[in-house]
Amino acid sequence: MSEPQPTPQPEIEITGLSKVFGQGSAAFKALTDIELNIRTAEFFTLLGPSGCGKTTLLRVIAGFEQPSQGSVRINGQEVAGLGPNARPVNTVFQSYALFPHMTVAQNIGFGLKMLGRPADEVAATTADMLKLVQMEAMADRKPSEISGGQQQRVALARALAPQPRVLLLDEPLSALDLKLRKEMQTELKRLQTETGITFVFVTHDQEEALTMSDRIAVMSGGRILQLGSPSEIYNSPSERFVADFIGDTNFLKVKVVEALTETVNVRLPGGALHSARLPDGLRPAAGDDVSVVVRPEQATLGDGAKAHLTGTVTNSVFFGTDTHIHVNLEDGTPFTLRRQNAGNTAPPAPGTMVGLTLADGALQVIRE
Amino acid sequence: MARQFSISRLPGFGAIALLTFVLLYLPIIILVVFSFNENQSQSIWGGFSLRWYEAAFDNQQVRDVSIRSLWLALVASSLATILATLAALATTRVSRFKGQTIIYALINQPLMVPEVVTGIALLIVVAFIKVQTGYTGMGYLVLAHTAFCIPFAYLPIRARLETMDRTLEQAAADLYASHVQAFRYITLPLLVPGIVAGFMLGFVVSLDTVVITEFVKSAGQDTLPTYMLGQLRRAVTPEMNAIATLFLALSLCIVTLFFLVTSKRG
Ligand SMILES: Nc1ncnc2c1ncn2[C@@H]1O[C@H](COP(=O)(O)OP(=O)(O)O)[C@@H](O)[C@H]1O
Ligand SMILES: [Mg+2]
Repeated sequence: MSEPQPTPQPEIEITGLSKVFGQGSAAFKALTDIELNIRTAEFFTLLGPSGCGKTTLLRVIAGFEQPSQGSVRINGQEVAGLGPNARPVNTVFQSYALFPHMTVAQNIGFGLKMLGRPADEVAATTADMLKLVQMEAMADRKPSEISGGQQQRVALARALAPQPRVLLLDEPLSALDLKLRKEMQTELKRLQTETGITFVFVTHDQEEALTMSDRIAVMSGGRILQLGSPSEIYNSPSERFVADFIGDTNFLKVKVVEALTETVNVRLPGGALHSARLPDGLRPAAGDDVSVVVRPEQATLGDGAKAHLTGTVTNSVFFGTDTHIHVNLEDGTPFTLRRQNAGNTAPPAPGTMVGLTLADGALQVIRE
Repeated sequence: MARQFSISRLPGFGAIALLTFVLLYLPIIILVVFSFNENQSQSIWGGFSLRWYEAAFDNQQVRDVSIRSLWLALVASSLATILATLAALATTRVSRFKGQTIIYALINQPLMVPEVVTGIALLIVVAFIKVQTGYTGMGYLVLAHTAFCIPFAYLPIRARLETMDRTLEQAAADLYASHVQAFRYITLPLLVPGIVAGFMLGFVVSLDTVVITEFVKSAGQDTLPTYMLGQLRRAVTPEMNAIATLFLALSLCIVTLFFLVTSKRG
């Protein structure tokens, strides 16, 4: 399941990182034992609910907070003791933090000016950046004279202008309305591919994380619970929290009947047998009770005789492209399945007894 | 439905409001009106004239004390603004430290200690230094006014710093600005309205104060207010009204400017 480790040096290497705020009885551990390698030129996302420590981790990387323990290396260099102005990293702040007394162009040129670049180079790069984010017409406006979406673009251009090795983005899209957010998602992805800069992107929106990222670290309570590609995170969640936080999920209690090397065979609530995949490092033995997850699209309404699970339909909800059918399994466990509407007949009426067939590899054992 | 509580519906509100305005403004209006009186009376109107203004402008003493007042206010409030800016930065741009509240209180001392107490204290110190050094120049007044103006300059500057978005300074640091550059290009420009407001408040306070000056000044160091006080002890002529009116106009201008600067959104 683990992919081949890349031999090149990681762009950002975080080892044994912890961050404690406050002292004594008021002490609060915002980050615990973070181990993280972020690769050069990847779109890396920190995903987790509000308060899980995403911003704190970004601020430690940027140099606004000092770690309580552990080390951060950027491009191989230990950055402890380096201020934010000495790190090859730029931030797009959640509030944008555009300088209100400067024009759009002055904002974008600020980083290069501080780096002491000649005025003509600052002007040329600023022009390039304005073009990159399609803000040429607004160059001489003040931040208060442009819209939220435009401010977002300026903040992005300002952070990209000094050509940092890494761009840190703290929930940059959360203040935008849905339509603009979708546009900016595409835009960000394009910019990342075009510039080849490593993006570390923070969001609490799982859909945004799944659609944009090369890899995702799911965080909760100051820890990284799982790290992997979007499909790994979605298809093979290793913990209940991850499965629950990302997408819709059904949880089932099952008993292991046979332990193989990579998988286990389990007995489902109705008695049927099915194979289940294992997360890294978990090896349950025959006879153990474990929890498994099934995504709603991995189950189909089937023939009673061949069905893996049986239950009673409680209700169906129409969603346009698909319908969610809610079923109560025989032992009372709720189960939701998702069915494409194209070509399908009307969903079964509430009260109907149905059989559910699970796809091969639909079951994933999770840690509790 | 219960009507929303409004203080303006309380009985007697109108009468009290009117009385307050009369008390506040009637004496000033009379003062201003009689500065334009033809004759020397403060109570009998003899026709419109600018003769008392002419008399005031022709009076060498008035010119001297006015220039001294303006010069003193300018120097003292400039010094006070610089010190207040540093104090405001030190009290808002460092992590919270023990005794911060005491520091606030110490900086704001002149706001709390009765002016006459400060005056007497200064008098004793100044007298001592005068005896020791023999120096009798304007230095004492400059120092006393500066100290007295600091809290007035400090308050708007600190307010401005506290409401400033700290992520702007962080963004500057993120974009490779040193501490000095972040201050020069971000904090200072955004602080300017606060500094201007602090300066103007300090200026007005220095211009106005009688007590501090009275205690600290040496012979021949009268400011406009202490000169007027001295004159009033002898004879009251409408020339005083004219000077007071001009003084009032100047103060009003500065205060208006102050409100314009502070209400302008940064
Ligand atoms: N400067 C600070 N002092 C004390 N606690 C803090 C500070 N910054 C963040 N925290 C706490 O650390 C936790 C994580 O915060 P944060 O990193 O902002 O979460 P997120 O960005 O994931 O929403 C929160 O509980 C927050 O209250
Ligand atoms: Mg956050």
